[in-house]
Amino acid sequence: MLADIFTPDLFASAIRMATPLALAAIGGTICERSGIVNIALEGMMLFGAFMGVIGTMFTGSPWAGALIAVLSGMSLALIHAFASITLRTDQVVSGTAINILSLGLTGFLMEVIIGHPGTTDPVARLRPVFNITGPTEGLFGTVWRWVDAIVFSYTPIVYMAIVIAVVGQWALFNTRWGLRLRALGEHPRAADTVGISVIRGRYSAVIVSGALGGLAGANLTLEQVGSFTEGMTNARGFIALAANIFGRWTPVGSYLASLLFGFADALQIKLQLFRDVIRIPSQFFLMLPYVLTVVVLAGVVGRAVAPAAIGKPYEKG
Amino acid sequence: MDAKFRKVLALLLVFALVTVFAVGCGGEEEPADDDTGEVPATDVKAAMVTDVGGLGDKSFNDMSWEGLKRAEQELGVEIRALESNEIADYEPNIDQLANAGYDAIFTVGFLMTDTTNAKAPEYPDVVFGGIDQFFEEPVENQVGLLFKENEAAYLAGVVAGLATLDSDLDDRINDKNVIGFIGGMDIPPVEKFEVGFIAGAKSVNPDVDVISLYAGSFDDTSKGKELALSVIDQGADVVFAAAGLTGLGSITACQERGALFIGVDADQYETVEGSGDVMLTSAIKRVDVAVFETIKAVVEGTFVGGENREFGLSEDGVGLAPFHDFEDVVSQAIKDAVEEARQAVLDGSVTVPALRTEL
Repeated sequence: MLADIFTPDLFASAIRMATPLALAAIGGTICERSGIVNIALEGMMLFGAFMGVIGTMFTGSPWAGALIAVLSGMSLALIHAFASITLRTDQVVSGTAINILSLGLTGFLMEVIIGHPGTTDPVARLRPVFNITGPTEGLFGTVWRWVDAIVFSYTPIVYMAIVIAVVGQWALFNTRWGLRLRALGEHPRAADTVGISVIRGRYSAVIVSGALGGLAGANLTLEQVGSFTEGMTNARGFIALAANIFGRWTPVGSYLASLLFGFADALQIKLQLFRDVIRIPSQFFLMLPYVLTVVVLAGVVGRAVAPAAIGKPYEKG
Repeated sequence: MDAKFRKVLALLLVFALVTVFAVGCGGEEEPADDDTGEVPATDVKAAMVTDVGGLGDKSFNDMSWEGLKRAEQELGVEIRALESNEIADYEPNIDQLANAGYDAIFTVGFLMTDTTNAKAPEYPDVVFGGIDQFFEEPVENQVGLLFKENEAAYLAGVVAGLATLDSDLDDRINDKNVIGFIGGMDIPPVEKFEVGFIAGAKSVNPDVDVISLYAGSFDDTSKGKELALSVIDQGADVVFAAAGLTGLGSITACQERGALFIGVDADQYETVEGSGDVMLTSAIKRVDVAVFETIKAVVEGTFVGGENREFGLSEDGVGLAPFHDFEDVVSQAIKDAVEEARQAVLDGSVTVPALRTEL
C-alpha cells in the first residue's frame, strides 16, 4: 500500500501543483513586504491564465502567450497600485474589486473573442524542458525513474518558480533593493526621510507581484491544461496568500509552504485510491489541503509577524 | 490630487467595475433572430438557469440549452438562459425569469434541488423542470427530470472493461487490468455514473480493477488533469470522467501519457475540439430530450407535474456515443457485447445498480 502511495509521481505531482501557488505566494510576499496587501492575486492569476491562452492563440507561440500573461497580470496590478497607493483606497476593497473584475472580464472576453462561454479550444503548450532517455532495467532503472520524475520531468515555468524563489530570497535580504523594499513595509516614513520614494517603490512591488500572478496563470493554462476554463483558478490565489503568511513573508518560505499544500493535495489524490480499503468518503480527502491551511494559519504560524506598515496607505508630509 | 477629483475617479472606477461585472454574470443568450416563417406560433416562453459550470461546459448545461434551442426551432418557443456564477445566484435568477413571464423554467443540476423546491410553490403558474433533481413532494407545477446515468455508464463500462484486455485495439492499451473513473463532486448523478461504470466493466471482466477518484469540483481542469495522471500512473489505460469541465483536464492527461478516454453527457468527440485521438466513446445523457419533451407538453397543454420522471435507455434518455475514430479498431466482439448489454438492460434481465452499496 505504501509503495502505491509513495511513487515518484506523488512528488512530481506535488511540485506541479505547488508551482502556481508558489509563484502567486512569492508575488504576495514582495507586495506585502512593501506594505501593500494583495488579495487580488486570484484575479491576476485568472486574467493571466486567460490572456496566456488568447496570446498563444493569436501568436501561435506559447512563449509569447506566457509573456502576454505576465503583462496582463502587471496591468491588473497597475490598477491595484493606482487605487491603493495613489488614491489610497482600502487595499482589501481594491483587491476584491479586481478579483470580481477579473472574473467578469474573462467571462466577457470569452464571449467576445472566443464566441462562447465555458472553455477555450486547446492551444499549443510549453513542453517539458528535458527529455532524457535513461536506463529502464534493474536498480539503475528504478533510481533513474525517481530522478527523472522528480527532477527532470517538468515544464519551464516549474523550474522558473524555483529559481525565482531562490533569487527572490537572496535579493530581499542581500541587496539594496531588498532592504529598501522591507523599509517601505516596516516604516515608510523613515524610508521617505532618507530619500527613498515610497510611491515608486510600492508601485514597482505591486507590479512585480502582478507579473508573478500572471506567470502563475500561464502555468495553469499553458503548461498544465492547454486551455482556459472560466473560474479555473479555484481560489488558488487565496491559498497562495496563506502560503505567503505561512512562509513568513519570505520567497523561499512561500515556496516551501506552497510545496506543503501541493503535497497535501497530491497525497489526498493518492489516498483516494484506497477509499475501498479505508472506507472513508471522498469528501474527507478533498478536505485535507484546506484543513491543513486552517491548522497552519491558526496554530503553527502563531508568531509570524507581518510587516508593520502593511495595509496602511502612505500619505506624504 | 484633490479630494473631489479622487471621489469622482473612484465613483467612475466603481461604475466601470459594476458594468463589467453585470455583463460578466448576467451572461444571457438572446434567441437568434433567424425567422424561417415555418415555425408554428406559440406564446409559450421557456428558460433555464444554469448551474455554476455555466453555458459552455460542453456537458449538461449546454445539453439543456440544446433542448431549448430545439424547442425554439420546432415549436416557436421564446427562449432564454441565465447563468449562475455561484450558488447564491440560483434564487435571484429564478425570480427574474418567473417575474419576466416565463412559462417553463428549467433549473439545471442536482445542487439546485432545494432552491427549486422553495420556488415552485411560490410561482404556481410557472412549470419548473428540475434536471437531475429528485423531489420528495413535488407540487403540481413541478417535475423532477432524472436520468439513469448508471445505464449509460454500464455500456461505457462494458467497452472499457473489454478494451483494457484488448491490446490489439490500440498500442496505448497496457497489460495491466486497470481502468479509471474521475468524478466531479460525489453527488447522486455522478455516483450513478461511477457505479454503472464499475458494474459494466465487472460484468465482462470480473477481475478488472476500477480506480475511482473525485475532484470535489466541476470546473477545476488542472485538478482533473492531476487526477487522471494519477490513475494512469496506477496502470489505467482507459479513463472515464463524469466531472464536467474538470474532465477536460483529464483528456489532456490522457493525451500526454497515452491513455484512452470516455466522455460524458454529450458526445464529447463532437463538443471537445482536438480530443478525437483519445476519445473512445461517450456515455450520453440526453438532457436535451428531457427539456424538449417537457416544453412540448407545456405547449400542447398536456403537461403533468407533481412527479419525478426518469429517462433511461428505454426512453432514449441515455445511451452510448459512436466510436468515431476508433470505429474500425474496436473489435466486433466489443460491439456485440455492448449490444448484448443494451438488450439485457432493455428487456430487464439486467438491473444496473445505482448506488455504491448495491455493487
